[in-house]
Amino acid sequence: MAGSRIACLLVPDLPLAAALRAQPELAEQAVAIATGPGPRAEILSVSPEAARRGVRPFTTTVQARAACAELRVRVASPSLERAARAALLDVALSASPRVEAAPPSAGLYAAEAVVFLDATGTGSLFRSEAGLAAALEARATRLGLPPVVAIAGSRPTAHIAARKLARGKPARDSVRARSDGARQAGRRSGVQKGRNPARQATQARKEDKQLRDEDTPPASDPRPNVEIVHQDAAYLAPLPIDLLDPAPPLAEALTRFGIRRIGELARLPRSALLTRLGAGARELLDLARGASRPPLPAAPASTRCEEALDLEHPLEHLEPLAFVLRGLLSRLGERLACRGLGCGDLDLRLALDGGGRDARRVGVAAPTGDVRVLLRLLCLSLEARPPGAAIEGVALATEGRPLRADQLDLFRPAGPAPALLARTVAELEALCGPGRVGAPALADSHRPDAWAVAAFAPASVAPVEPRRPGAGELSLRALRPPVAAEVRVVAGRPVSLRSAVANGRVTAVSGPWRSTGAWWSAEERFALDHFDVWTSDGTLCRLRLDRIGGRWEIDAVYD
Amino acid sequence: MVPIPRRPAAAARLDAPACRTPESRTPEPRTAEPGTPVEELLRDLGGQLRRGGGVEPEAAARPWPTGLRELDRLLGGGFPRGRLSEITGPVCGGRTSLGHALLARATAAGEVAALVEVADAFDPGSAHAAGTRLERVLWVRAPERRAALRSVEHLLLANGFGLVLLDLAGEAPARTARPRPRDARRGHLERTPAVWPRLRKAARAAGTALVVLGDRRCVGACADLAVETGTLRPRFTGTPPLLEGLEGEVHIVRNRLGPQLSRVPVRWPKPSGLRSPSARCARPAGACMRRCS
Repeated sequence: MAGSRIACLLVPDLPLAAALRAQPELAEQAVAIATGPGPRAEILSVSPEAARRGVRPFTTTVQARAACAELRVRVASPSLERAARAALLDVALSASPRVEAAPPSAGLYAAEAVVFLDATGTGSLFRSEAGLAAALEARATRLGLPPVVAIAGSRPTAHIAARKLARGKPARDSVRARSDGARQAGRRSGVQKGRNPARQATQARKEDKQLRDEDTPPASDPRPNVEIVHQDAAYLAPLPIDLLDPAPPLAEALTRFGIRRIGELARLPRSALLTRLGAGARELLDLARGASRPPLPAAPASTRCEEALDLEHPLEHLEPLAFVLRGLLSRLGERLACRGLGCGDLDLRLALDGGGRDARRVGVAAPTGDVRVLLRLLCLSLEARPPGAAIEGVALATEGRPLRADQLDLFRPAGPAPALLARTVAELEALCGPGRVGAPALADSHRPDAWAVAAFAPASVAPVEPRRPGAGELSLRALRPPVAAEVRVVAGRPVSLRSAVANGRVTAVSGPWRSTGAWWSAEERFALDHFDVWTSDGTLCRLRLDRIGGRWEIDAVYD
Repeated sequence: MVPIPRRPAAAARLDAPACRTPESRTPEPRTAEPGTPVEELLRDLGGQLRRGGGVEPEAAARPWPTGLRELDRLLGGGFPRGRLSEITGPVCGGRTSLGHALLARATAAGEVAALVEVADAFDPGSAHAAGTRLERVLWVRAPERRAALRSVEHLLLANGFGLVLLDLAGEAPARTARPRPRDARRGHLERTPAVWPRLRKAARAAGTALVVLGDRRCVGACADLAVETGTLRPRFTGTPPLLEGLEGEVHIVRNRLGPQLSRVPVRWPKPSGLRSPSARCARPAGACMRRCS
C-alpha cells in the first residue's frame, strides 16, 4: 500500500505576488514593495524587472528610485496578503478536502505563503501526481499567484522541495537575496579561530556555488515549477541546510560544526545533538529526517471569501470606487469559480475618512459569478445610500453558494441553462431592484391581498394536462395600493360609487364576503367585506369595506 | 493502398447541424440510419423524444393554445412560438384572463414562463386559480417601461423560456418627459419604436412566444399577431346574485400566419377556486377553517 502523499503549494514572495494580483498591469514593470509610504521606507521585495535594473531589497525607497527612475513603489498591504493567502487555500481546496495553511514564518522565509494538501487518493481526479501538480499550478496562476508545487511523502519534505524550487526561480530574487544575505552573515559569524580565514572563505564560496548549481533546475526542464519526490531521505540528503530555516543561533552552531547539508544533520545522533544544541534542535532534526506530522485536518465547512484593499488616496466619487469594486469582485469570482461556487449575498464594508465605517449587505437573487451584474448591484446600493465620507478602504465578502446544476431530460422541456438563468435573474434584480424578481407564491395567510415572492428555481417537471380544456378562466387584476372609493350604501349594499377606476350606478352586486384575521396584532389585523360590483360605466371590480378603518376601496378589477 | 474511410453523411447523423450546402439548397431531413440503436430508440419513443438543448424546429412552430377552442382554431392552434404577439383591449375586456390562460398552458406543459409587468397588477392567487403553476413563472416587477423592455430582452437572451408575457396595461402615463407632437398623436407608448424589431428578432432566435399585453396597440407592424378584446358583459345568476363569469368577443385584427379580421365569441367563467374575496389559502386541505380548499 502506498503511503500518504502531501502536496505543497508555495508562493515565495507573497507581498509582491499580492500586489501584482491586485494590479496585474504592473506585472511587466519595475515594482518594489516598501514597508511604508515615506522616502526612508525599506524595500521588502522587488520584481524581476526591478532587480534587473539594480534595485535591491533592504534599501530605502530613495536609494531604489536612484537605481531605477521608473520604479513603481507600492506599500505592503496586510489585507492584500491576507486575501492572497486565502486564495491559495482556495486553490488547495479545489483539489482536496484536507488542506492546511502553514503559519507565517518569522525567519529567512518570512515572505513565503505555504499551503499543504493531502494528495493521497487524488488519482481518480488527476491522472498522475504530475497532473495534480500541473493543475494546482495552473489554478493558482489563474488567480494571480504563480506558485511552485512539490509533492512528497511528508509535509517537511514537500515544503523543502518547494523552497528549493522557489530558490531556483529567477522571479524570486528577493527571497534569494535575503537567503544569501543571511548565509553570508552566518558564514561571517562562523569563522573559527586558529584557521586561515581566506582559505575558509574560499572553501565556503566553492561549496555555496556547488549547492546553488545543484539547486538551480536545468533550463531544459519542461516544468520548472513542479517537483515530485519519491525517495524523501535520498532527496533531502544533498540539499543545503538553510532550506530548513534554522534559527540564527542554530544556524551559527551548525555552521561551526561544518554541517552544510541536510543529510549530514539527519545522520547525527539525536541525543548528542540535543545535549549540545538544546531543545530547539529537535524540530530541526525532525525536519531534516522528514518526520511525518499529524494528518492534515478536514477542510473547514465555511465557504466565505473576502477580498480587501487599502486605498492610497481617499475616494470621493462612485465612479473610481466602481473600478476598485470591479477588481475585488473579479478576484472574488475567480476564487469561487476555482471551487465551483457562485457569489451569494455581498457584504460590503467601507472604511471612511475620519474613522467612520459603512457596512451594508447587498442581496443577490441567484448565485452567479458575473462581475458586471454584481457590480451593478453594488453600485445601485451605493447610489441609493451613499457613504457619508470619502472612502479609504474597501472590503468585500461573500458566502460561496453552489451553482445550480440541471440534468437534461429527454421527455421534458429543457428550459434555460441554470448558470445562464442565475445570471439573468441577478441582472433583472439589478435592473428592477431588490425583491422585485422571483417566483410568485401563495402566502400562508387568509388576508385576501397577501402574496409572496420566492426564489426562482424551476425544477424539471413532467407536463400535465390542463384542468379545463376548451375553456378559459376569469382572472383578476390587482390594484396596489387599493384605490379609494366614495360609495353610497342603501341597506348595507353599495348602490353607486365614485373612484379613479369605476364610476356610476351599481348595476349588479354580489356579496358581501367577510374575511377577518390577525386579531392578535394591532398592526396586521384585518376585517374586510368584499363585493363583486358591476357599475354602469362597464367596470366589473372587487370593492371592499375595511371595517376597521371604515374605508371603501377597490382592490382589483376583473379583466 | 489503404482506403481512407469516408465520414457518414451529415444528414444521417443526429448531431449534425442542419446547414445548407451550395450543392443542395434544401437540407435533408434528420433521420437515423435504419437498424441502428438510434433509429430503434426513435421508433420506440416516437413523438415523446425531445432534444436536450436548443430549440427544436417543430417545438418552435408549436403554438401555445389559449384554451378557447374557437380562437385556437382560428389562430392555427394558439399563439405562435418564436413570434411577437399583442393582446389589447379596455379594462374588464379579458386581456388578463387571456394572458393567464397562456401562462397556465405553458407552465402545464412543463415549460418555464416569465411575466414582466409595469403596473404591479399580477394577482398570484388568480393565476393559480386559472391553472398556472406559479413555481415555473418568473415574475419581474419592473419599476418603469424602459426597465420592463430591457428585462424582456434579457429573458429572451436567456434562451429557454417558452413564453414571455409583457404586461404594459395600466401603465401610468409618463410625466417626466414631454412627448413630442408626433409621439403624442400616437400615444406615449410609441416613443421606443426601435425596440420592437429587436425584441421580435430575439424572440424568433430563442423560439419564445413573446406576448405583449396593453391598453392599446403599441407594437405596430412588428406584431405577427394582434388580438383585441371587446367590452365584456358580466353574468350574475341566482338569488342572492352570484358572479358567474364574463361574456364577450375577441377580435383578431392582425395575423400574419392565418386568417384575420375575425370575431370570436368568448366566455370567461369565474374559476371555482376564485370565490370572492379570493380563496387562495395555502393551507393543506382540511386544515383551513374556512373550508376554502
